[in-house]
Amino acid sequence: MTKSNITKLAGIVLLSIFMLLVPVFVKNDYYMLVINRLLINIVIVLGLNFITGLTGQMNLGTAGIFALGAYTSALLSKNLGISPWLGMLAAVCMGLLIGVGLGFPSLRIKGVYLSLTTIGFAEVVRLLCANLNDVTGGTQGLRQIPPFSVFGFKFNTQQSVYYLFLVIALIAFFIACRITYSKWGRVFKSLRDNVEAVEMCGVNIASVKIKAFTLAAVFGSIGGSMYAHYMGYMNPSTFNTDLSANFVIMLMVGGIGSVVGNVVGAVIVTALPEVLRFLGTYYQLVFATIIVLGAIFLPNGWGDGIRRLYRWIRKKCVGQKTQEGGAENE
Amino acid sequence: MPPSHRFGGEAYNDDPHVEKECKPMLAILIQLLVSGIALGFIYALVGIEYTLVWNSTGLLNFSHDKLITLGAYIFGGTLVLGLGLNSWLSVIIAMIVSGIVGALVASTIFNPLRNMRSTIFAVMGTIMLGRILYEATRLIWGPIPFTVPNWLTGNVIIHDISITKANLYICVVSIVVVACLQTFLTFTKTGKAMRCVAQNKKAAALMGINVSQNICITTGISSIICCIIGMLIIPLFNIDVNMASMIGLKGFSAGVIGGFGYMPGAILGGLIIGIVENLSVAVLPAVYKDVVSFVLLILFLLVRPGGILGKKA
Repeated sequence: MTKSNITKLAGIVLLSIFMLLVPVFVKNDYYMLVINRLLINIVIVLGLNFITGLTGQMNLGTAGIFALGAYTSALLSKNLGISPWLGMLAAVCMGLLIGVGLGFPSLRIKGVYLSLTTIGFAEVVRLLCANLNDVTGGTQGLRQIPPFSVFGFKFNTQQSVYYLFLVIALIAFFIACRITYSKWGRVFKSLRDNVEAVEMCGVNIASVKIKAFTLAAVFGSIGGSMYAHYMGYMNPSTFNTDLSANFVIMLMVGGIGSVVGNVVGAVIVTALPEVLRFLGTYYQLVFATIIVLGAIFLPNGWGDGIRRLYRWIRKKCVGQKTQEGGAENE
Repeated sequence: MPPSHRFGGEAYNDDPHVEKECKPMLAILIQLLVSGIALGFIYALVGIEYTLVWNSTGLLNFSHDKLITLGAYIFGGTLVLGLGLNSWLSVIIAMIVSGIVGALVASTIFNPLRNMRSTIFAVMGTIMLGRILYEATRLIWGPIPFTVPNWLTGNVIIHDISITKANLYICVVSIVVVACLQTFLTFTKTGKAMRCVAQNKKAAALMGINVSQNICITTGISSIICCIIGMLIIPLFNIDVNMASMIGLKGFSAGVIGGFGYMPGAILGGLIIGIVENLSVAVLPAVYKDVVSFVLLILFLLVRPGGILGKKA
């Protein structure tokens, strides 16, 4: 085993111990809520990465996908009494349906149509959820959604849900990694970089894009199902355009196209508003300003910015040393 | 007063309690049609405003609905109600301020971000700008909706068809705006330069056109149109932080239906959406009114992706 492998292994072990011990240290229920929401966000961003990060097609309707997944799962398990896990399976089917149904019209042709259809789709879903009172409960929201359970054990405390979501997020992370570094992932990336060349290689661009979007929709729906059964109550006003934008921000902040970057971005964007809470009514304004400045000055993600800063500082220090030492070149 | 108010035989009636019962179906349909056309003109203006930016930068301005709201707030909140200025003077000042805001937006968001590796940065830049504007309007003017008294109010009654003056104003002003814009683009040097930049940025730069400055001017004009839209829809939606979000989305649909990136297409698409949407109220429950434009958008993408006037994709 080489030295770098050992460091990597040690890093992974430390990280997993840290992840396992989070509920032991965090006693505050609100922080646990934020952490569990973070795990849901991670699943969704990993999916969004396929279409927006790798393929480069703007998806601005994640909130709509999220909402449909959540409502499908919640309504089925609440009204028909089926297990939330079957509800999640139904949400996955819904994701497939959205992916093909919305992807086919908008990705068959070249252009920015996906961003337009998805943003309209999200708004329509929100309006329908708010107005179909008999089915969705309208603006009053949907109450008493049953929690996840395994063999009679109910996941109804923050800590137990944390471990469940950690497992789901890890599986999602693993799948996302496998897809990103497989043939599919490489085709997705090449679509972003040079469409003409990919077309010359005999790849059916439309079908690849629809695949990427369907993956995003499935991950989004799973996230929605997790959200519904975790919160137990939901309201159509949650699923607004700001939510869709937040997921894309997570993608952008972490560095577009990298799977680890997605997780980092999700952590930063979920934690930042909580950190900025002390600003009171101004915190959204400050948050938005920080993100815009980040987009302008750190186009490769914040992680890259920190790396560049570190390199710059080291260069400065080393440079000064060489100046003092005299005759050393770079 | 615009000429549209001098149709023969009409009576002015400012009484809001206009008789609504026992109206023949035809009259209701005509009223729906008129308000549909007026809304259609609004969608058309939205379509034009974002098509201008799209053509010149290759980017969609997702903050345009917030710019519309900002225009309405500057006009209603600060100039008319805050400073108590004359309405028409306020209109001019609001338009100038909006133009400056638009140029600022272009120089801070569009110009730095349009040449990035991925368009996601620019798109997110505009969305976050929208959020900044939203928060700023909420903090400056407060979250409570209000309206400007005596601004474009009143009805015109022809036989038993009552038409609000706001709708007539919308139609007339939209036609004037489109005509002015077309004249500006065809006959002035700046307008010609704008069309050059829209066609080919490299060639335009080689011909000595300052592309960045040109984008600033285009965005400024687009922002002025946003401000006009904002002032026109005050009687329809009141001044509220969310007043324009639906209009903004439907403006996008209008562009796709008429022909993306093509200005006459945006106008036609806007009118179609406005009319179809308003007539749908006669058939469908009113809840589905906002869904109609989206369904039209998907239908057109499936059947005729280039739009009605666009070239076949």
